[in-house]
Amino acid sequence: MTPTAQQFSQAAAAKAVDLRHRAIIQKNIASYDVAVTRSRDRFSDWQNARSKAAAIKWETINHLDRYLEEFERNILANGGHVHWAEDAEQARQIVLTLAQQHGVRKVVKAKSMTTEEIHLNDALTAAGIQPVETDLGEYICQLRNEPPYHIVTPVMHLSKADIGKLFHERFGTPPDAPAEELTMVARRQLRQDFLSADMGITGANFLIADSGMIALTTNEGNGRLTVSLPRIHVAIAGLEKVIPRLSDLGLFWPVLCASGTGQALTSYSTLVGGPRRDGEVDGPSEFHVILLDNGRTKLLANPEMRDVLHCIRCGACLNTCPVYKTIGGHTYATTYQGPIGSVLTPRLRGAEEWSHLSFASSLCGSCTDVCPVRIDLHHHLLHNRRDAIASKFDNPIQRIAFKLWLWTVQSPARYVAAGAIARLGLRLGFTNWFAKPWTATRDLPTAPRQSFRNWWEKVGQASRLSDVKPSTGGTPVQHHP
Amino acid sequence: MNSAREHILGRVRTALRVPAKTPAAPSAAPIFPPVTDLETRFREEFSGLKGEIITDLPAFLSAFPNIASAVPQVAGNATVQQADLGVTGCDCLIARTGSVAVCTRSAGGRALSVLPPVHLVIARRDQIVADLPAALALWQQRYDRHWPSNLCVITGASRTGDIEKILVMGAHGPKRLVLYLES
Repeated sequence: MTPTAQQFSQAAAAKAVDLRHRAIIQKNIASYDVAVTRSRDRFSDWQNARSKAAAIKWETINHLDRYLEEFERNILANGGHVHWAEDAEQARQIVLTLAQQHGVRKVVKAKSMTTEEIHLNDALTAAGIQPVETDLGEYICQLRNEPPYHIVTPVMHLSKADIGKLFHERFGTPPDAPAEELTMVARRQLRQDFLSADMGITGANFLIADSGMIALTTNEGNGRLTVSLPRIHVAIAGLEKVIPRLSDLGLFWPVLCASGTGQALTSYSTLVGGPRRDGEVDGPSEFHVILLDNGRTKLLANPEMRDVLHCIRCGACLNTCPVYKTIGGHTYATTYQGPIGSVLTPRLRGAEEWSHLSFASSLCGSCTDVCPVRIDLHHHLLHNRRDAIASKFDNPIQRIAFKLWLWTVQSPARYVAAGAIARLGLRLGFTNWFAKPWTATRDLPTAPRQSFRNWWEKVGQASRLSDVKPSTGGTPVQHHP
Repeated sequence: MNSAREHILGRVRTALRVPAKTPAAPSAAPIFPPVTDLETRFREEFSGLKGEIITDLPAFLSAFPNIASAVPQVAGNATVQQADLGVTGCDCLIARTGSVAVCTRSAGGRALSVLPPVHLVIARRDQIVADLPAALALWQQRYDRHWPSNLCVITGASRTGDIEKILVMGAHGPKRLVLYLES
């Protein structure tokens, strides 16, 4: 096991039995579930909406070079600039160079997972530039000096009381202040930052090829202020975010909002198509878009996994995942958590260190069911597992155990013998050491004296035969003791 | 960074030489039920999002000492940053979602509809369109190749649910979204 995998295991074990954490997450996701059900009901055919979204994303990703060039051409025509970054370091350098050229001291940021992915805030701080997160959830993360817990809901793991305590310590609000008061404190603090920042940095939910615009989906309005007030706007987006046409937003905006927060549309679905134009009264004098690869072309080169690049980062697969809900977002120690994170991270950041995430799944397939762009997530977890095993990045003990299992089940005699040994072992209490990881937090049922095989031969078969007779006085079905 | 551009596009082209399995084709059927009575639906949705529809414009305006306005119907006396009310027009109203579509031209720039604590939209009844695709088509028809630098579909006032999913209005943008419908 790599140290990363070991830390993951330990953190997961601790979180899984943290009942306070569980209560907060369940409350949060329960209200999300209600909203999502309601917003999917607004569609006459949600399944067809998913198919349409998947088809458009397939078309774009499989002609990505063409759409990226079209997007670039139209951004330039609209007076913007396009930069290409092969990796996180190049992306950071582009931002820092722009910041230095413009004498930037303070940056306001709208929520962007891509900037988390490239660890932009650390780079800005190291260069003497103050980054201010303006999404309320991200702002709370920044005050706590911790990464977002969830790609859409950054502080899903905190209760109102936790945030009240934090604001009490930082801003002197009453410890039991209601959510509204806490929000207004953040509003006042951040308003000053908006008015004094030199640069606004956002991500992009969509890059629109045919019109040379980026689309931003927000509720708070921080995204709109970020692109309105500072003198320079920089948007950083993974190159898979492109969609062909402006008209595609008629589908993608409602699909993203339904899956992300359960809204018909969020408060602000914003389009930015360049810097302030002649005749406009306000807006930045420069608009830059950074297109980030950072491993994405590796996924593109894998036709089996290519549909992972369809992802619109709605977070639905996190909210439905029994593993995510049990171990929590921080346990993953990745930018992208949950099923999409477990699929992406080994591919983007290296299978040797991150393959353990692909094994942390029940393969229930719920992620695939909810994905609005029909990414085959749980099969991709299997693809990652297969490749990890082929590269010997899996757990060696597990590999031996599976070999032993295979050898056992290949012979009926060995299978019977193994069953007898296991039943005896369980009854004699070997579980104390053998099944300890299981029994530490769960009960193990007592082992039956006979195997199902034995029972079937003696009793089960006969009772089944009598049971199928259309008589009323048949032998009642006996249950396996 | 031109070499980065060539490297990335080169990798993309190499990658795409191997085709991926095509997904099942979607049906051509619409994904939303049709919107029939545009104005009734718009009013329902807009009000459901805590939007306020006013009928007495002068009475409403009298409560605001500092007004910044982008429309001729309302006189403005304040800058965007001082205003406690921002008044704008719009490109259209969207019935299905109760939204207001604005851009820098119809809303007097970028900040006026988001910086002041209250946003008043002055619109006409005949500006109501059925749905988002209709609004996007209208934008395309009106502005294609001469796009305003900023456009926005506003669906309710600013809100957040970041603290325990408790709904709080006015996170950063306007706390109130108000509409005056001219006949």
